[in-house]
Amino acid sequence: MTPQSPNNGPVLREHSYDGIQEYDQKLPNWWLFTWYITMVWFVIAWVAYYQLNLGESGEEQVDKALANIKAIQLKELEKLTDEKLWAMSQDEKVVAAGAATFATTCVACHGTDLSATALSATPDNPKTKVKVKLPGLPLNDTEWKHGGTPLQLLSLVRKGAPDLTKGMPPWEPQLGLTRVVEVVSFVLSKHKKGEPVTLAADSPLKPGAAAAPSAASAATPPATAPAVPTPAGK
Amino acid sequence: MKPSTPTLDSLSTIHADGSRQFVQPSDVHGPFTFWRRVAALALLVIYIALPWIPVNGFPAVFLDVQERRFHFFGLTLATQDLWIGFFLVTGLAFSLFFVTSLFGRVWCGWTCPYTVFMEQLYRRVERWIDGDGPARRQLEDAPWTASKIARRVFKHGVFLLISAVIAHIFLSYFVSIKSLYEMMQHSPAHHAKAFGVVLFLTGALYFSFSWFREQFCIILCPYGRLQSALTDDNSVVIGYDKKRGEPRGKATVEKPAGDCIDCRRCVQVCPTGIDIRNGLQLECIGCAACVDACDDIMVKLKRPKGLVRYDSYVGLQGGKTRLIRPRTIFYSIVLLVGVVAFTFAVTRISPLRASVVRMGGASFYVDSGIIRNQFQLRVINKRNAESTYKIELVGSVPPSLKIVGVDQMITLPAMGEDLKTIVLTLPQADYKEHFKFRIKVTDAARGDSNETRVMEYLGPDPKAAPAAALNAKDFIH
Repeated sequence: MTPQSPNNGPVLREHSYDGIQEYDQKLPNWWLFTWYITMVWFVIAWVAYYQLNLGESGEEQVDKALANIKAIQLKELEKLTDEKLWAMSQDEKVVAAGAATFATTCVACHGTDLSATALSATPDNPKTKVKVKLPGLPLNDTEWKHGGTPLQLLSLVRKGAPDLTKGMPPWEPQLGLTRVVEVVSFVLSKHKKGEPVTLAADSPLKPGAAAAPSAASAATPPATAPAVPTPAGK
Repeated sequence: MKPSTPTLDSLSTIHADGSRQFVQPSDVHGPFTFWRRVAALALLVIYIALPWIPVNGFPAVFLDVQERRFHFFGLTLATQDLWIGFFLVTGLAFSLFFVTSLFGRVWCGWTCPYTVFMEQLYRRVERWIDGDGPARRQLEDAPWTASKIARRVFKHGVFLLISAVIAHIFLSYFVSIKSLYEMMQHSPAHHAKAFGVVLFLTGALYFSFSWFREQFCIILCPYGRLQSALTDDNSVVIGYDKKRGEPRGKATVEKPAGDCIDCRRCVQVCPTGIDIRNGLQLECIGCAACVDACDDIMVKLKRPKGLVRYDSYVGLQGGKTRLIRPRTIFYSIVLLVGVVAFTFAVTRISPLRASVVRMGGASFYVDSGIIRNQFQLRVINKRNAESTYKIELVGSVPPSLKIVGVDQMITLPAMGEDLKTIVLTLPQADYKEHFKFRIKVTDAARGDSNETRVMEYLGPDPKAAPAAALNAKDFIH
């Protein structure tokens, strides 16, 4: 015989631990239903995810999203040509955005006027300002170390200098492709399409005779008239 | 259906077969009910008004998740200030411990949003449409006539409307009233996510307050369970004076009775369906409805009030309630520590924030006898006003260490954020060994400043490097 609670209430279960007993009560139905729902959900999830492989795991979703971003970027990059970058360098909006990024990110090494110099007071005479060489290379002349075509510039800003110990870091991870393209457009806006590209004496591109001419020919599109040397900002 | 007498053995809101017994508490009047209504009204006004009051250009409370800026009465916190939240949460927990050990579940009965919405909005609407407790119970058992259907449709329509309003106000805490109003003028598809949130919240509120009700407080809320564990025999809770009340019922000549006439009024008004005469129970949310109900009867019987009253277990036994006891002393000390820590933490919040990382690539570069280290400085302006900042180096740095290229004054727009490349150059001859420094950013106009963490300036080991003398010509034209 099962003992009853004093006022005909729930049934007291027989087991007892340290004198503590428990009633045999029904769970509220709404609570029970949450349990039934999890059981049904388990079957659906187990069949869908583990048997039929219908859904994607979280990891797969992230991988897919990342691959998608990369594919879109690659597509955009493939679309970019020297021509397009030159055209962007005439777009005031793009150039203004590039100038803003340049002012915060690039001036430290390349100078506000792209000359890679800055006016600075000397310790001995704070009144006079002298021109100080900055760490970067000047970008306002026509002499380039890593190639002067828009695409070469773009690749340099994206990936950094081939010899990373020389200072130019890869900027794409920091800025993202859009801002890199804007900065390149800004630098190009200080130049003229078709201006001569000379390689610096220490250019890594120089000894490789095959690379340099192709870069030069890319900078001078065949359709345009012979390049007129225009000293840009010097 | 005859209402069963609540016992201590089972929940009175669940039948033996697990089905739900709906509680239809009767209306009650009295001082506690009045003041509870005033408190609830004030809380509702605060809840509705906060997103509308502009402080310093932002709503008084605006948790801007999109911009990751959190505005509290003019104080703006960035995500980086989230550690304050630790002190806020622990501080709230300790104040709750303290209050609970003194006065039981006053939070539940007087201030919990769930109770405020339930008792002061939904239950009042229900009372207005369906009448008082007995009438509602009658309507519940009545067959489905046209009038019952009309009443039910009307009631649930109003419930849905209230739920939608509460949900919209809730969303406005995260998107501001202005953009909420803009969103409402467009089709839901324009702001599918925000619309989904409101839809879900409306549904959840409607379900909670039209059907789930006291089940939340009894079974789901961890807060209630936690609070129950914090009380002891000296905590002032709502209790029934057994010594005075028993034996309950009608007094006869041969059998004298206590003050309780067993009118069951306290049971009828209870929103969680318990009998307070069984003592303090887990379901009791401390709403004091039974106190008002019993006092009302006692006044009518010309007997002293307070058969059911706010008192401790000790007090109900005729003893003296001790408010100062080890538990309350400990909780108040912990509360005090929390308050001090929180106050200190808030004063530590700077209206600007500077942080620095070393730039990717090599850790240092040597070029023409000049060592350079490159860093990236992030400056966040948390003020709602344009600010100009001075950048300087602090620590024992050689005088020839220079910040190059970047202007040492930068201007950020209101709530702006900027990432600056900082190049530090040092003549190689001046480099003896690596040294530590911080970058200090100071608001030029207001003087607030924030320092970055310690960074290290690195260079080639001078002992290993060839003793190349510094040549000024190398870096000055």
